[in-house]
Amino acid sequence: MAAFGSFAILFGLVLCVYNFVVGAFALRQIAVHPHVSLGPERLAESARRAGIGSFIALSAAAFALVYCAFTNDFSVSYILHHSNRALPWPYKFAALWSGQEGSLLLWAWLLGAYGFVLRVRHKVDVKLTAYASTILAAVQIFFTLLIVFPAPPFALTQGAVPADGFGLNPLLQYPEMVIHPPMLYLGYVGFSVPFAFALGALMMRYPGEKWIHITRRWTMVTWLFLTCGIFLGMHWAYAVLGWGGYWGWDPVENASLMPWLTGTAFLHSVMMQEKRGMMKSWNVWLIFTTFMLSILGTLLTRSGLVSSVHAFAESSIGTWFWGFLLIVLSVCLFTYILQRDHLQSEHKLESLVSRESSFLFNNLVLLAACFTVLWGTLFPIISEYVEGSKVTVGPPFYNRVAVPIGVFLLFLTGIGPILAWRSTSFKSVKRNFLWPSIAGVTTAVVLMAAGMRPWQDVGTLYSLMTFSLAALVITAVGSEFWRGARVIQRHTGKNMLLSLVQLTRRNTRRYGGHLVHIGVVIVFVGLAGSAFNQSNEQEMGFHDSMTIGQYRLVCQSYTQDSNANYDSEYELLNVYKNGKFLTQMAPERRFYHASQQTETMVANHSTLQRDLYVVYEGRNQDTNQPIIKVILNPLVAWIWIGVVVMAFGTLLALVPNMSAEQATKPRKPAEEELALPAGVGD
Amino acid sequence: MSMITILACAALLIGVFVYVFYPQSKTEEQTQKTRLEFLRERKDTIYENLRDLNFEYRAGKYPEEDYLAQRAGMENEAAQILAEIEFLETAVHAA
Repeated sequence: MAAFGSFAILFGLVLCVYNFVVGAFALRQIAVHPHVSLGPERLAESARRAGIGSFIALSAAAFALVYCAFTNDFSVSYILHHSNRALPWPYKFAALWSGQEGSLLLWAWLLGAYGFVLRVRHKVDVKLTAYASTILAAVQIFFTLLIVFPAPPFALTQGAVPADGFGLNPLLQYPEMVIHPPMLYLGYVGFSVPFAFALGALMMRYPGEKWIHITRRWTMVTWLFLTCGIFLGMHWAYAVLGWGGYWGWDPVENASLMPWLTGTAFLHSVMMQEKRGMMKSWNVWLIFTTFMLSILGTLLTRSGLVSSVHAFAESSIGTWFWGFLLIVLSVCLFTYILQRDHLQSEHKLESLVSRESSFLFNNLVLLAACFTVLWGTLFPIISEYVEGSKVTVGPPFYNRVAVPIGVFLLFLTGIGPILAWRSTSFKSVKRNFLWPSIAGVTTAVVLMAAGMRPWQDVGTLYSLMTFSLAALVITAVGSEFWRGARVIQRHTGKNMLLSLVQLTRRNTRRYGGHLVHIGVVIVFVGLAGSAFNQSNEQEMGFHDSMTIGQYRLVCQSYTQDSNANYDSEYELLNVYKNGKFLTQMAPERRFYHASQQTETMVANHSTLQRDLYVVYEGRNQDTNQPIIKVILNPLVAWIWIGVVVMAFGTLLALVPNMSAEQATKPRKPAEEELALPAGVGD
Repeated sequence: MSMITILACAALLIGVFVYVFYPQSKTEEQTQKTRLEFLRERKDTIYENLRDLNFEYRAGKYPEEDYLAQRAGMENEAAQILAEIEFLETAVHAA
């Protein structure tokens, strides 16, 4: 199977090279001699098919690696180092992306899969897709080259083949780890598609904004994958690493956040290009940057360039990535300089109080956040280069900058939809801001009356601002739904609920977007709870107890267990809330035989108010009694609820509009005449 | 290398080779988008913007003077585009 896998990768590389070289040649021929015979178009078609073929070849290679994992083929070095016989079968799948070679194969395969869909759907715009397909083939060549030369997944084990493998990293033996990396990679890889379309559209001087329309769903799906990937990673860190938090500003976490920030900025600013023909250069550079940050993210995750709990692989492939990034930057810069006259804005910013300016501020804030994260992440490398010693910046640096940025972004989330395109008068501002402002101020007053003291520490101040702005945004977004539904209700006589459904179906992108904003607000509320965390740590022998907040934990027993994969120690704790029995919890610590590593299994009792988070820290060497750490994390559950709402909103935004469906019906000739601007009211 | 591996490699190679180079009776033509097509797209976008504006006005989001000013701006833009479309269509018919 190893030989078949190696052959499939090599064959995939040949097909990618064919797609790129022949595709580029055909495009050149068509551009230079547009009226010649069908020859170049036949070549372009064979290049497209080679691209589809590359996906088939890389699928065969990915299948071969998974097959080797399932059949315990330890003659393949990668399987020897990332699997073992006792490994449960879902984690044998995870072996595909638990090491560098496998994860690069996954990257290449996912890129092939995205390319497959793009090439199959080429009729949407044959010429533009041919450009995008050729650019995508160039990216595919890079990743396939990586798995042919510096990181071959089918390299054979040197010497005698051991009877069992070294096992999977215990940190990865967690259910979410089976879906978190592929989600994240689908996000990283997916940005290649809008990047390819943007670069292709610029190269061919594509008239108009249809390329944005074509790539909109790609971008949203990619953004959704990246969002889910990031939050699954947060949940994994929360549940597995046992430090009580979900985001530690780790370089690899940051690597996933950066393309998300620029991708989010892109999703907003393309609306200005679609609606008003503005910010064309800005948008092109946003998607170029997002793609390059995705590559940088993969570089940081896979090269061991920065130390991180998430960087599961270390190697020297960094040079390849830096080289590729340099080539991408050069191509983007060269194409932009050559074609920049094509990106002239059709309109100018008319007022600072307008939806355009709110998008612009939103973009600037997101980019400021991205730059902060990039600076903090690369600072150890820069400091080592300049001063000879690695200086790492920790969470306080990020929090000092990112928290106020986040709060301002929340504010913009509230005001953006309220403002009008072009310019908004004072009267309009007063009309639309009155109730959201009242909601925000009332929330602040009620919370202070309930005991919040924002002047005591900055964390409480930011929390109060977040809760207050959350109320403002929810009211603003809610009023958008309410007002729109009332118009529908007046027209159709339907009840409010049905009117809301029809309103949403009428413009799924807008109202799906509003739902995403509500999800973001809910996430922020969850994050704001961290200002009120409490923790306690103590030895807990038989019948010992610990009190934290309203909870009392009593040790019932502590014991050991063993199975083929790992040994474990755990403690059974009875939990009482306000004196009443609530639940039983069993924090655990495992020792994995194959990898000789330990892992914490956190016990968490989660409610909408707070999480009771219990960690088995190990045993005191002198007394041999277990040490238990308990953390009370308020509002954490809202973070995960918020993500679900964000995902639902994004999926809703992907659904075609009801009016668009109707628009696809054949129109009577007379209707063309009637389609005058003043009449297009409902 | 086992016979099964050789056969699997050969099947992959031949299958994809045939798919890539199998002669096509019909090939999709790569046409350059014209200015007329671009203008029609712009017209649809402006109409959509107008539809949104009218809806938001009916929802009570904008005062009348704001609404009228914005509508006038969009209608002017639409009128310019419609005029250019008409001119180009006439030229196309004449050709």
